[in-house]
Amino acid sequence: MPPEIAQNFEALTAQTLRLMGVFARAGYELVAPAVIQPAGPFLDVVGEELRARTYIFTDPEGEELCLRPDLTVPTCRLHLARHGEGSVPARYCYNGPAFRYQPGGGDATHPREFRQAGIECFGAGEREAADAEVAGLIAEALREAGLGRAFLRIGDLDLFATLVATLPIPDRWRRRLHRKFWRPAAFRAELARLASPELLAAHGLPADLVAAVDPTAPQAAGAVVEAHMAAAGVEIIGTRGLAEIAERIVTAAADARERPLAPETVRLIEDYAAVRAPVREATARIRALLPGAAAPALEAALCAFDRRLDLIAARGVDLDGATFSAEFGRNLAYYTGFVFELVAPELDARSAVAGGGRYDSLLADVGAPAPIPAVGACIHTERLLKALAGAPGGRP
Amino acid sequence: MTAIDKGGEKLILALPSKGRLMEQTTTAFAAAGLPLAKTGAARGYQGEIAGWPEVEVNFISSSEIAQFVRVGKCHLGVTGEDLLRESIADCDQRVRFVAPLGFGFADVVVAVPDCWIDVRRMGDLEEAAVAYRRAHGQRMRVATKYMNLTRRYFAERGVSSYRIVESLGATEGAPAAGLAELIVDITTTGSTLKANALRVLDDGVILRSQANLVASLGAAWTPAREALVARLAQHFGKA
Repeated sequence: MPPEIAQNFEALTAQTLRLMGVFARAGYELVAPAVIQPAGPFLDVVGEELRARTYIFTDPEGEELCLRPDLTVPTCRLHLARHGEGSVPARYCYNGPAFRYQPGGGDATHPREFRQAGIECFGAGEREAADAEVAGLIAEALREAGLGRAFLRIGDLDLFATLVATLPIPDRWRRRLHRKFWRPAAFRAELARLASPELLAAHGLPADLVAAVDPTAPQAAGAVVEAHMAAAGVEIIGTRGLAEIAERIVTAAADARERPLAPETVRLIEDYAAVRAPVREATARIRALLPGAAAPALEAALCAFDRRLDLIAARGVDLDGATFSAEFGRNLAYYTGFVFELVAPELDARSAVAGGGRYDSLLADVGAPAPIPAVGACIHTERLLKALAGAPGGRP
Repeated sequence: MTAIDKGGEKLILALPSKGRLMEQTTTAFAAAGLPLAKTGAARGYQGEIAGWPEVEVNFISSSEIAQFVRVGKCHLGVTGEDLLRESIADCDQRVRFVAPLGFGFADVVVAVPDCWIDVRRMGDLEEAAVAYRRAHGQRMRVATKYMNLTRRYFAERGVSSYRIVESLGATEGAPAAGLAELIVDITTTGSTLKANALRVLDDGVILRSQANLVASLGAAWTPAREALVARLAQHFGKA
């Protein structure tokens, strides 16, 4: 265990004051979400992959708690505790430690304890403006701290969702592709399955049952599945009920009869996923993939992408060298749209000094009764200090 | 790394201190021509292999053996592969499997309620888990004591919409009791799973485990100790 969490703490504190000054001047309220969080609800939101890196413990009353692995979910909880339904627009900034397990104890750019300085913008109506505000403020704070150059990387999950929404395929296939988009191998396997009549029919479920279910009359499926189970002497146990089981049988029956994806559709999706371009060329590259004019919804999403770029540039962010990557994702599963990362040339690309994005379903996941638009980002303050010191860093 | 180097050139061998595992270990060593004996007080935790004065046997609780192997507090140990792979994240970098011992067989498996006739494989589970979260507003719960094996296997298979609830006993009863939706647990004959109306997924065997003689790569090694291990391995039919 390292005996101190941050070397050069005076410099780190001074740097933090400069960052927070930028956020405060922009009208972001400084808040202090709890370091110790209830493990259950927290981990239900962030998922098991981050949980594997979260320090979890039991207090003397037997309550399962955790040290926050980031500050976004705690800030969402704070917002809902203050405002109930959370529909009041709010802008928060924070600065404080977060904790993540690192195999072998971590290193200078991947420490177990690190301090995040960040902002969250909840309930802002004009999405691209809010996205640009957050990205622009983070870039401004980095400049204020003295970082000369940082390369911007952008992704956009919403562009992909909209592209797929304009294709002539069943809704459930859209959801599936959308879900698997961030995992390239699983995504390619799913595309291959949807394009092959043989694979679509090879569901591996009881063939007589799937044949007995009529996908055009899903209401009747429950009774068919129930009769099948009764005949096999299988009893329903647990919390997952007959309706859920029947739904997947219906899906298998529907998939087996569906027309597979056309080769040109598969190619379009694959080509989209492979797009990597300077940000200013991104929409032209995507338009060039389409057989004709973009469908209205996609055209709107492409225009929104370019409008967001203009708004980011208007905030003084240098877009020369900024790149768009269709596959650029974040390892936290809750992002839903625009995502970005700022990489300092002094550090390796895996050690971004800042990053964030849009997560429009997170507040609802944490307990808001309806989805609330939200975008936020944070700065990894130890990495920033290291980048400013110009030290070559990162993992071996 | 706290590699020990006491007792000159002695080789430290950590063996289970009680229960069936100790008996089976004693039997397996005897069958290999390596009779074990306790030394000192009758209930002592030190021992030796008759005729092998260079080997010091430490009898410790089987759950601790994996930790001893991980940090190099013993050179050799006998424990289940399931416990080693569960408690040592980078097992293949820290442990050498010297010889399987032919007992303590147990499969670590993913088992779901038999009534989930729509879930035969991990791919089905992924789909069902996503639908479950949509329908119930929370993630599917997996009861297990093998948190790390579960996370690794589920991640490899692309299953992410789930949450582990730690279970230290009677895991197989968790789904019927409504404490979890499915389990990851060890099974030998499958009869306990069956009695609890559970079924192993077609690709749900995470690990086929048995007791193993293993070497800790983090321990203090000398050519003399390495030669000893090679000689011991020959007794278990390993060159």
